[in-house]
Amino acid sequence: MEPLLRIADLVKHFPLKGTGHRVHAVNGISFSINKGETLSLVGESGSGKTTVGRCVLGLIRPTSGAALFRGKPIGSAWNVRSPALRGKIQLVFQEAGESLDPRMSIWASIEEPLRQMKLARDKRRARVREVIERVSLPPSVLDQYPFELSAGEQQRVAIARAIITEPELLVLDEPTSALSPATRAELIDLLADVQRELGTTYLLISHDLSAVHQLSHRVAVMYLGHLVEEGTLDEIFRTPHHPYTAGLLSSIMLPNPELKRESAFVLTGEIPSPIALATGCPLAPRCPLCSQRCTEAFPPSAAVTATHRVYCYRHDEVARRESAIDIFGAFQRFAERVLSI
Amino acid sequence: MTSNAVRIAEKHGTGTAADAATPVIEVEAVDVAYRVYGAAPKRALRGVSFQIMPGEILGLVGESGAGKSTLARAIMRSLPLGGRIERGRVRFLGSDLLTLDEPEFAKRRGRDLGMIVANPRGDLNPLLPIGTQIVEVARTHLALSHSAAVRLVLDILKTVAIPDPERRFHAFPHELSGGMAQRVVIAIALVCSPKFVISDDATSGLDVTVQAQILSLLGKLAREQHTAMLYITRDLGVAANFCDRIAIMYGGQIVEEAPTNLFFSGPEHPYSNLLLAAFANNPRLRARWGAKLGRVTPTAGDPTCLFADYCVKREEKCVHAPLPLKQRRFEGLVRCHFPVLR
Repeated sequence: MEPLLRIADLVKHFPLKGTGHRVHAVNGISFSINKGETLSLVGESGSGKTTVGRCVLGLIRPTSGAALFRGKPIGSAWNVRSPALRGKIQLVFQEAGESLDPRMSIWASIEEPLRQMKLARDKRRARVREVIERVSLPPSVLDQYPFELSAGEQQRVAIARAIITEPELLVLDEPTSALSPATRAELIDLLADVQRELGTTYLLISHDLSAVHQLSHRVAVMYLGHLVEEGTLDEIFRTPHHPYTAGLLSSIMLPNPELKRESAFVLTGEIPSPIALATGCPLAPRCPLCSQRCTEAFPPSAAVTATHRVYCYRHDEVARRESAIDIFGAFQRFAERVLSI
Repeated sequence: MTSNAVRIAEKHGTGTAADAATPVIEVEAVDVAYRVYGAAPKRALRGVSFQIMPGEILGLVGESGAGKSTLARAIMRSLPLGGRIERGRVRFLGSDLLTLDEPEFAKRRGRDLGMIVANPRGDLNPLLPIGTQIVEVARTHLALSHSAAVRLVLDILKTVAIPDPERRFHAFPHELSGGMAQRVVIAIALVCSPKFVISDDATSGLDVTVQAQILSLLGKLAREQHTAMLYITRDLGVAANFCDRIAIMYGGQIVEEAPTNLFFSGPEHPYSNLLLAAFANNPRLRARWGAKLGRVTPTAGDPTCLFADYCVKREEKCVHAPLPLKQRRFEGLVRCHFPVLR
């Protein structure tokens, strides 16, 4: 079966004007998302996650490779602006407040995609009322303006505007990062509900690993424009095989002082500049397991299971050193025990 | 901290040796209100009290609007226009900070009291190399020659794990990543080896990996130099992993305070439970502790519980009787008529 979205050997480099240098944002990554599932792209800032998202939407043209939606490459001729694809792929931005037009009422903002699709007025009216209820906002917000709403309400409006066209694919770019803990929890629930009811496919771009854990079926870990590990939620969070994934997981801090994923791969330093890339594994300068061959060529894909692949020469060693624990699962059991009295 | 920096710090009486039995900072019943033109003053803090011992890290956790930053700025005597400390005392190693005259306090701010803020780039001067900015702080407070100050700054840059300090000394803020800029702000706060440091949401904008590195750096400083630290955050997870004690703030009050492990083995204030539930992936648990969190504005002279309207354990008494301050079952304090006992 053809997956809903397939990323095939996607490369995106941005030339730096007048210098002859280029920013190597994405360097040949491949993955696919099946209908109805959530795939999360995780990694530090600067790893190229958002660039992948923008290629999926057809907002920028890949240097080589392609993002294929239902088998057809998204590009300059066929993208979210073309009538045939309009409304099928939608986007929720990080800063909902800034993605809403300050001079349009909430009603007008939510209705806008349907106007673009030339829907009749009474149909639009009915749909707006439907989605505003779906995102649990009172109808009174429809007459308000973005500045009158809280950050959480604005993010709900952004989701309402995205789902009003009944998209098949929703690209969520850091949807939770600007929210307070309670609002964040409610938004995660809402996204899970929407997917359950409408069967929408999500591409979630986030460095909020707790949100990723709650929403995803599969996880792809990116580092400096490369995919370094991909697998099901459990495979990535329980048995990471890449030192970078293990390092990321060990820096998660959960609200319980006893829950910490101890790791031999604590990450030091920061993600290097994507302008002058060295050959070999991009993590090599930060990796405690780095050996000669790691600096010579990018490691080939190794299959851990049918659904779990990793790009590391020494992934067996990583897996051996890491204890297979799921700290999020442990935290939920802790919360259940302490809070349900 | 390198030996050079310690030597300089000790010479200037800001040294590392502190009496382990006296609190570094004591905040006693502090009230802060903001005056609003043509309206009643808004009370931002109500009777906030706590103390921090040498080497101890107190985590102050609350949502936006709870009064966390107001507290930090009240201690540093840098409240925004209209803000005033109405009542209370802030003592630093026994001496009252609030009665000092401004020139006297200015000598301490930056030397004895350090502050790290959330937006490092906004805090740095874009027109000056970072080394110059740190040297300026060092020379203002410590009677150092320029070359001695430069040596001290190179030391402190090494301490905060900035690679290649000799080169970075001449870098401008825009040339640094967010994590590096944050380290520079930490270096400024620490260059005079203060005995007390406030960190206001300093790591929230960073990647988790960089956050972990910066926290381990701050933790090491607290342990090795016995710096007392007030760590302000919205993230209960960071507080759990980094702080020795937790204080939960709601509506300008500390509603619960306890050692970290005791706090997490059973929060007693209903609001603390609700906050913890917000981090668990479980709508049922959240519903169990009440639906809504949100900003509250305390009204003038309101002695009753501010959380009552949202509380699942609310009873008649909560709305009428003045709020008590009780001992927690094992250790710590809770401000509630009906604390949750397990």
